[in-house]
Amino acid sequence: MRLSPRHILLVDLLKGLSITLKTLFKKPVTVEYPRKRVQLYASFRGRHALVRDPVTGDARCVACLKCSQVCPSRCISIKFEDDPEKGVRKLISYVIEALRCIYCGYCEEVCPVGAIVLTEWFEYSQSTREAFLFDKERLLQNWDAFVKTFEGKVYTNKFWNLRGVPESLKPVFKREGIDVKLRGEAS
Amino acid sequence: MPERKLQYKEELFSTEDPFFTPFEIQMGPQHPSTHGVLKLRLVLEGERIVDCEPEIGFLHRGLEKLAESMSYTQVLPLTDRLDYISAMNNNTGYALAVERLLGIEPPPRGKFLRTMVCELARVASHLLWLATHALDIGAMTVFLYCFREREKILDFFEDICGARLTVSYPKIGGVRLDVEMGTLERIYDFLPEMEKRLEEYEGLLSENRIWLERTRGVGVISAEEAIAYGLTGPSLRGSGVEYDVRKHFPYDAYPDLDFEVPIGKNGDIYDRYLCRLKEMRQSLRIVKQCIEKMPSGPVCAENSPDLDMLISKRAPVAMAKGEIAFIGFPFERVNLVPFGELYSAVEGAKGELGFYIVSDGTGKPYRLHIRAPSFVHISALPKLAKGHFLADLVSIIGTLDIVMGECDR
Repeated sequence: MRLSPRHILLVDLLKGLSITLKTLFKKPVTVEYPRKRVQLYASFRGRHALVRDPVTGDARCVACLKCSQVCPSRCISIKFEDDPEKGVRKLISYVIEALRCIYCGYCEEVCPVGAIVLTEWFEYSQSTREAFLFDKERLLQNWDAFVKTFEGKVYTNKFWNLRGVPESLKPVFKREGIDVKLRGEAS
Repeated sequence: MPERKLQYKEELFSTEDPFFTPFEIQMGPQHPSTHGVLKLRLVLEGERIVDCEPEIGFLHRGLEKLAESMSYTQVLPLTDRLDYISAMNNNTGYALAVERLLGIEPPPRGKFLRTMVCELARVASHLLWLATHALDIGAMTVFLYCFREREKILDFFEDICGARLTVSYPKIGGVRLDVEMGTLERIYDFLPEMEKRLEEYEGLLSENRIWLERTRGVGVISAEEAIAYGLTGPSLRGSGVEYDVRKHFPYDAYPDLDFEVPIGKNGDIYDRYLCRLKEMRQSLRIVKQCIEKMPSGPVCAENSPDLDMLISKRAPVAMAKGEIAFIGFPFERVNLVPFGELYSAVEGAKGELGFYIVSDGTGKPYRLHIRAPSFVHISALPKLAKGHFLADLVSIIGTLDIVMGECDR
């Protein structure tokens, strides 16, 4: 093999080098991150937020505890009390430990009212561990910060409206799909 | 370990060479070419490997034990963390095992989508294998080129399900989200481009004299030995054994699809390399057929379990109210799922990935055992490495395609 003409004439090496030479003149695929950004796809699973309802100005959570039950890493802890007059549950505290979260998206998938969402926001490093304990106010702030960067008028998440599940199995809210009006019409 | 040490010393000192001095070094766990936290205790004679003993467990997270305290649906995101570079295969394997236990049949669109993403994940995994393997041997260009294409596949995953590595996209009874037509078209357009890229990699490596000298005749394992060691996947097929779970025990949409199982001949590193490259071509073919034959309809079975499948609500509600009351058993002993034991395997990117579930009727698995291909492949490492140079050990580790997250679980 060593005496073959292909070996002596370096055919194999030159073939490889020609491929690298061709690639040299192609457009680079890398992005210089802090200055340029790639566009994330819809429903990227990033920082947590509680949706602020434009009508009431508060979270839409109804304290059904489904999210804390399905969470595989058990990072959601909720406290609520019963309101005897109206017969509804009142949310006292809603805490997510973001460092324990594994971003599976089960909480937003199981939520019957579309209250919790994993936003398309991935830059939230902090210097203390306490900063990753998201309570209700922090989660609502996260939502406000996300909505500012969101361009459309109506936000909906892929996981909120389960398109794969047959219609007969969905709760009433999910049959129609949940939209959150962000600007304009919501008064 | 001390007994073993004595044993090889006796063996080695009885040789006739008076200058024979065995030398022991520890390779890893923090070593760039052990692909994770694999530690190897090597005994060298000069630069030849006399003995090799892998030490594993540096990435042990107790996943199998953790699964015993979770419901069947909650275990699924944990399986992402097994073989984290082809997470779709793990999810599908687990979902398939639970489906077979519960007697659920996914709808055809769900099956085809699952098959499609599995094959894309296999291509991504093989690309990462080729990249790191070539980098270990010294071909830096292939490393950069492979990551360029892998990035595109990860982008498709992000479009489909919102995550790139830990996808949790398949679900018990189908998949979680439907895929839009535009995404399928973009994947379809990507396939011929990927074929061209594969030719580029082959042009860079297949005839390269350095690559040939480093891979031909190194790490040879015969077909009988490979079967005896329990190798599966491309590592076994490189030795010439035609065994593929997709062909022999077909699952999901594989019976409807047309593909070949490429096999090698000599069982050395070069044959396994060719085998994996051919397998990537076959995977692209499968993805193409999947998109062409994609049926319409629902993607998830009607009788698939909910995410909050069976958890008794009393305990969380009492805790959330702040009551200090008797909470009761969070998982009551009622027959929610069938009794019994079940082993179900899929063809992962590394080999046969099996899930063994023991069900006691509650909503949690009584025992979940994972047959991880990487764990089995590491056991064949001493056999492959003995008698070779220390520098060849790097390529032998690379050819087995080990992921320590899967090995240590």
